[in-house]
Amino acid sequence: MTNSRSPLRIALFVGIVIQTVLMMVPLFYMLSTSFKAQNEVFTLPIQWIPSQFLIENYTQPLQEKPFLRWFFNSTFVATASTALVVLTSSLAGYSFAKFRYPGRNLLFWIIIATLMIPLEAMIVPLFVLVRDLGWLNTYTGLIIPAGGSAFGIFLMRQHMLSMPDELIEAARIDGASEPYIFWRIVLPINQPALSALAIFSFMWNWNSFLYPLLVASTDEMRTLPIGLASFESAYSTNYPQLMAVSVLACIPVLIVFFILQNRFIESMALTGVKG
Amino acid sequence: MQGLSTTTKHPTPAERGLRAGWWTYRRRQQLWGFLFALPAVILFAVFAIYPILQTFYLSFFDFNLVDPPQFVGLRNFETILTTSAFRDSIAFTFRYAFGTYIPTLVLALALALALNTKLPGRSVLRMVNFIPVVISWVIVAVVWKLIFHQNGLMNVFLSSLGLYTPDWLLSRDWAPYAIIIPSIWKEIGFYMVIFLAGLQNIPTVYYEAGKIDGTSAWQAFRYITLPLLRPTIVLAIVISIINGLKIFIPPFVMTQGGPAGSTRVMALIIYQTAFANGRMGRASAMAVMLFLIILLFTLIQNRLYGTGRDVEA
Repeated sequence: MTNSRSPLRIALFVGIVIQTVLMMVPLFYMLSTSFKAQNEVFTLPIQWIPSQFLIENYTQPLQEKPFLRWFFNSTFVATASTALVVLTSSLAGYSFAKFRYPGRNLLFWIIIATLMIPLEAMIVPLFVLVRDLGWLNTYTGLIIPAGGSAFGIFLMRQHMLSMPDELIEAARIDGASEPYIFWRIVLPINQPALSALAIFSFMWNWNSFLYPLLVASTDEMRTLPIGLASFESAYSTNYPQLMAVSVLACIPVLIVFFILQNRFIESMALTGVKG
Repeated sequence: MQGLSTTTKHPTPAERGLRAGWWTYRRRQQLWGFLFALPAVILFAVFAIYPILQTFYLSFFDFNLVDPPQFVGLRNFETILTTSAFRDSIAFTFRYAFGTYIPTLVLALALALALNTKLPGRSVLRMVNFIPVVISWVIVAVVWKLIFHQNGLMNVFLSSLGLYTPDWLLSRDWAPYAIIIPSIWKEIGFYMVIFLAGLQNIPTVYYEAGKIDGTSAWQAFRYITLPLLRPTIVLAIVISIINGLKIFIPPFVMTQGGPAGSTRVMALIIYQTAFANGRMGRASAMAVMLFLIILLFTLIQNRLYGTGRDVEA
């Protein structure tokens, strides 16, 4: 529009830089507070660089609460649910895109209609169901009900519709079995969509809160967000330790984000529209 | 259709004598198709369809998890709609959704427009603005709870400007903003990315044509960008409002719905009614109301955006 040296563009650039720095202030406040002594948190003027760095704020909570276990639980549950989501979504997406059988469209539309059902509206029956299955405080209870994604099925079906039929037919003529075709031909072709779904699903599960809050009530079965919330309610005034565990909980996600950033943003944008 | 037409082009396994006949082959294909869909169908039947039907069913019962449910007709609905707690909750939920997402979308659009120009370091700026999106909501709530502490960062900042410093989390009037402001902070980056994607889909020829006609930057925005971005904006509004109506974590962590219920969103009052007060039937009636509200917005979205036609294509 205007040339790159115009005062307007410089003002715009400076404005955006200031805005972006402001966005980071809460995170810097978190980091700075995480090293302070408890009596230093509210001293004025604000000490952005603490007078001393108390590493105990990081080590002490790890001894008092099973943060490592919570971290493991989150990683394990999110990985397993993601694997299930990718598997069930690609199988169902393939079925809905490339097979014809009575009731196919009805099943597809019923699954798509569940996108309208908020989890918040079914917490009571879901809790009763998981309790009656004997799945409270188990990995099974945390993983299996999170193993299906209507959005994932929709996404995979849309991608598989554009897959050439000739490829599948040719394999059938060569005598390949249906599971073999799915595993060796259909999945590899749709790999980009699968990895977008995997990233989205992992993020979603990693940050999932309400469902694990219902299912995991014992300390050792909590996922990281639930554990963090329980730590918060027990130690709500020990701000340095609270900030320290928040910093620790941020780090893995931020590392993954910085490695995958572009793919990450793409898949969030792609999936967010429908999620 | 595809399956049928290709089987006429190529010899089917049946024709090659691998199996008895074409009908058997077709049956087998149908069976495979159904088998592939089966795991997802079972999961959705058990963990989505059954629970939502059960929500409707339980909303007509008195149920405390231990004793068998007692049928009470419409009494749960009568109770929740005549007591102020739930009505206040609906009102606050809407106030939260619109109070958060109108500013979020305006700011996100402004940011997207700015970062869609050739600024130096724009990919870094985009990435940094996206960071709050990837940080888990619990962490965001924990950090902002400290920021809104009586002596926290927000009040330090306000007092340095000589402004009034409320005790955010303990004041009925200010607590809603202590929930809304972190939400705006967390969500801007996400909608920025959605708008950037929309902006990049606008062909540059329009702007070039505009330039030849001598349009100003404002006219280009008003008569080219805005109309062409309209579908994205409409979609973003509806999706964000739906997400806003389902919000749970920030009030759960920061205020537990208080003070005096001033931040008790619908998801939270459902959770508390069910698991703190043990009134499962009443909570289910509230859940039915939440479901109907969300359904209404989803139908509006389908009407405006026509997702149905997209799926058919």
